[in-house]
Amino acid sequence: MSSTTRRVDVIIVGASLAAAAAARRLHDAGMETLIIEKRELPRHKICSGILSPRGHRFLLENFGPIPPQALHNPTSCRGVTFHFPSMVSMSMDFFGGTTPHLHRKYADHWAIESSGAEVHGATSFIRLQQQGEEQIVTTRKKGGDEVQYRSRYVIGADGPSSPVLRSLYPDYPQQIPWFFVGQKFHEIIDCPLDEAYFHFWFHPELGHYTWSHARDGRQIVGVGFKRGDNFHQRHQHVANYLQDKHGVRLKPADVDHEGCAENFGPSLINRYVFGKGNVLITGQAAGFLNMIGEGMSCALHSGAIAGEAIIEAAIHNRELQPLYRDMIATEVRRTTDQWNPLKIAFGRPHEADFPAALMALPLKDRLNVLRDMWRFVCLYKEFKWGREIMRESIARLKYGHYPGQRWL
Amino acid sequence: MDKQNITYPRNTIGEIPPCPVAPDSLQGIPRQQTNPSRWQGEQWSAFVAALQQANIELRVAPHNTGTYMTDAGGLAYGKPHGVVIARSAAQIATLMQLAQQFQVPVTTRGGGLTTEGESVAFGGVLLDMTGMSRVLHIDKTALTVRTEGGIFWHLLAEALRREGLDYLSAPLNLTSSVGGTLGVGGIDVNSSKLGCSADQAIALQVVTPTGEIVECSDEEHAELFQRVILGYGQFGIITEATLRIRPYTPLRMHYFYYSSLRNAVEDLIQIDRSEACDYSGILTMMDRAITLLVAFDSDEREAEFLSHHRKAVRGYGELPFAIRTAAYYAVRPWRIKEALYLYQRKRELFPDLQPAHHMQGGQMIDRTVVFSRAVWKHWGGRQMVIPDLASSVDKFVESVERGNAVCKKYFPHYTLYCVGIKLRADHKAHYELSCIPPDAEEWAYGCEFEPMLGDNSYSRDQLQSFKNEIYDIGVDLGTSYYRFGGMMKGYIRRALGDEVVEKHLAMKRQADPAMILNRHVIF
Repeated sequence: MSSTTRRVDVIIVGASLAAAAAARRLHDAGMETLIIEKRELPRHKICSGILSPRGHRFLLENFGPIPPQALHNPTSCRGVTFHFPSMVSMSMDFFGGTTPHLHRKYADHWAIESSGAEVHGATSFIRLQQQGEEQIVTTRKKGGDEVQYRSRYVIGADGPSSPVLRSLYPDYPQQIPWFFVGQKFHEIIDCPLDEAYFHFWFHPELGHYTWSHARDGRQIVGVGFKRGDNFHQRHQHVANYLQDKHGVRLKPADVDHEGCAENFGPSLINRYVFGKGNVLITGQAAGFLNMIGEGMSCALHSGAIAGEAIIEAAIHNRELQPLYRDMIATEVRRTTDQWNPLKIAFGRPHEADFPAALMALPLKDRLNVLRDMWRFVCLYKEFKWGREIMRESIARLKYGHYPGQRWL
Repeated sequence: MDKQNITYPRNTIGEIPPCPVAPDSLQGIPRQQTNPSRWQGEQWSAFVAALQQANIELRVAPHNTGTYMTDAGGLAYGKPHGVVIARSAAQIATLMQLAQQFQVPVTTRGGGLTTEGESVAFGGVLLDMTGMSRVLHIDKTALTVRTEGGIFWHLLAEALRREGLDYLSAPLNLTSSVGGTLGVGGIDVNSSKLGCSADQAIALQVVTPTGEIVECSDEEHAELFQRVILGYGQFGIITEATLRIRPYTPLRMHYFYYSSLRNAVEDLIQIDRSEACDYSGILTMMDRAITLLVAFDSDEREAEFLSHHRKAVRGYGELPFAIRTAAYYAVRPWRIKEALYLYQRKRELFPDLQPAHHMQGGQMIDRTVVFSRAVWKHWGGRQMVIPDLASSVDKFVESVERGNAVCKKYFPHYTLYCVGIKLRADHKAHYELSCIPPDAEEWAYGCEFEPMLGDNSYSRDQLQSFKNEIYDIGVDLGTSYYRFGGMMKGYIRRALGDEVVEKHLAMKRQADPAMILNRHVIF
């Protein structure tokens, strides 16, 4: 190894919101922090961009007002509308008020730049080795040679298929089910769906995750399903359904469709991955995903916690992993509560009031909604999450938190 | 480094409605950036050169700046570009003149015991006031002391004790500085009789944000005096202070125990109104084991209380309360853990509240030492998370009860600390933008809500959420806050109204044209 290898305090892999939050904390605390991102910045990011109120608050409090350029049109979202096969629709406003419709490419870049950390774009993470107290991170600049850095700490904030996570747990990707989530953009002929809301379908025939909302004068039609299925067929099926059942008339999809792999399960069954030793995994890489698939708010919060844990560990000379796991427990509780049937029935774990919207429906519609939801949940039967969710829900009731023994 | 100057594309499709995702689009409290961005260091080099020319030592090494990374609250982190240790008013005046000229932020810090990041420098200069910590003069006849602003209260106490004297009131954490305390308030268990610590100041030497050294008091430069006292460091740096003092007296202590928070708070208010004791306050172990402390400076005052006022106090003595509590838990065996916690807490705490080596003939010889040690041993931690509500008498019981419910929701163990603050009618102007609630007459009341964090580690968001929920009660009830700067400055306008804040902001702009002194604390 070259003796001129640069040494920094922390290397963050990924230039997402989780990375920005972690970097902000670390930079504030005076730690030399380097962010590496495999793509040129600002980079495109596949996302609905509908941030939850909690995430909005975090951005405001830590990064200041969001610049208009970091927003799509419509720039804000009032809440979510659920649609069911029985043709019942329920609109629910967010408790916290309207939230931004982020243009992830520019919003992420704004946050990353605002964090104050040093950012290296077009730099891929290649491998990670531990050498004594230090981590050796090998990277490669696009079209260039490998470059090594030494750091005391590493944060993997590099998304669901995290290379940092895979370098720690090579078998992990085989241990969880993977989904594909893709969206296509359509010019609108006529769309009766209220553009102030994010629309979601609890319809087992449409897929595991089906949504639509307006963006920059076009309509997004999105579909999620178990990896291995055909995106274009799935998408066409949903587009036809929207036209037949909701009168959504759209032109054929534009060419700029997009999709990515998603790890959908860890939040449901409390199987998060937080890393090893001085390497932390955070954001969606760790498994954080809110119900309705919004991952930005928990990415921001978990990223910040990763930064805070490193600061605490460095200042007080404490072991990092136990500290991180103690501190992240609140975020685990918030996120997994959203999937916990006991919490859904008797608490208010979400940022919109589903029970109140349900109770506002006529009895017949209410029963139809419950039946439709049950059928939708049965779609996930093959993953055998039911028992695990119930076991974790009971543990939550008993101990007041989700057991950390299940975390990697 | 790939620092690109990105020009964001203008959104060409449709019109962006007026600020649709502005802070006030979030219901409830308008949110703002409470974790300030770091000052980017414009003109720093020129400023450093000017400081060198003026012979002002600036420390920029990481181990120097890193020392000041956070405050006692541990929720805000920031690093100054450089640190200046305060040596004299003249040195600070020069520093402020240059800081104005080069528009470099200056953050003052005494003991660093703020909890919302008020004494954390997000870049710029951190002015460490502890370099000015001498007692200058004690006047035994006029009962005043002249001291430098950076002195800690325990050092001042030491100097005064040698002369058989005492300050009037000081915060329980004696490693806070005199200057910092006068800037925010300071409450003690005798505040219900003698007022907040800031009210004991007679005169101050202040370095203004533009670098003038001004002596001020109620008679001389009264307007500056009004702004600096309880002014959260916005209008000047306190370099020297003249404080009222008094002869030192040992304490005659009495503790009464309650199982009802409401009864305890009502009794505290009643005792203060009747002026039946010299010291009073509430400390809870749990919300069903509450201690009301009353104490006296003389045997006569104690005897008068016992003969005329004791009967009205609904609290029990130690033994009767222990029997009642045991009976309560005997029929609720499922709450055994709670009972054991109380028992354990009592065993640890009580000896430290009346330590044999500080007791003589039933009197406590130095409350300063006893209370501050006990508080930090049994309630303290490596992180101070102490949101509070400061209200008028009428709103106090509800404030305490609602705050207690929030504590219970977040933490298994916590303590409440309640005291009254006697207000001075002639100091109305001092209180205008301060912790003293605008609707308080004669007394204000403060309650601190302190979770027992122990060795547990919490995320900042978790602790901040807890604090915000307490502060939201204040907005709902129309109270003020003892700690209302720094990360909770979003609450100031809600608590005190735009008119008052705008008025003070205009004054601040006039006094500090470059807006450099303690700039993220309030405005």
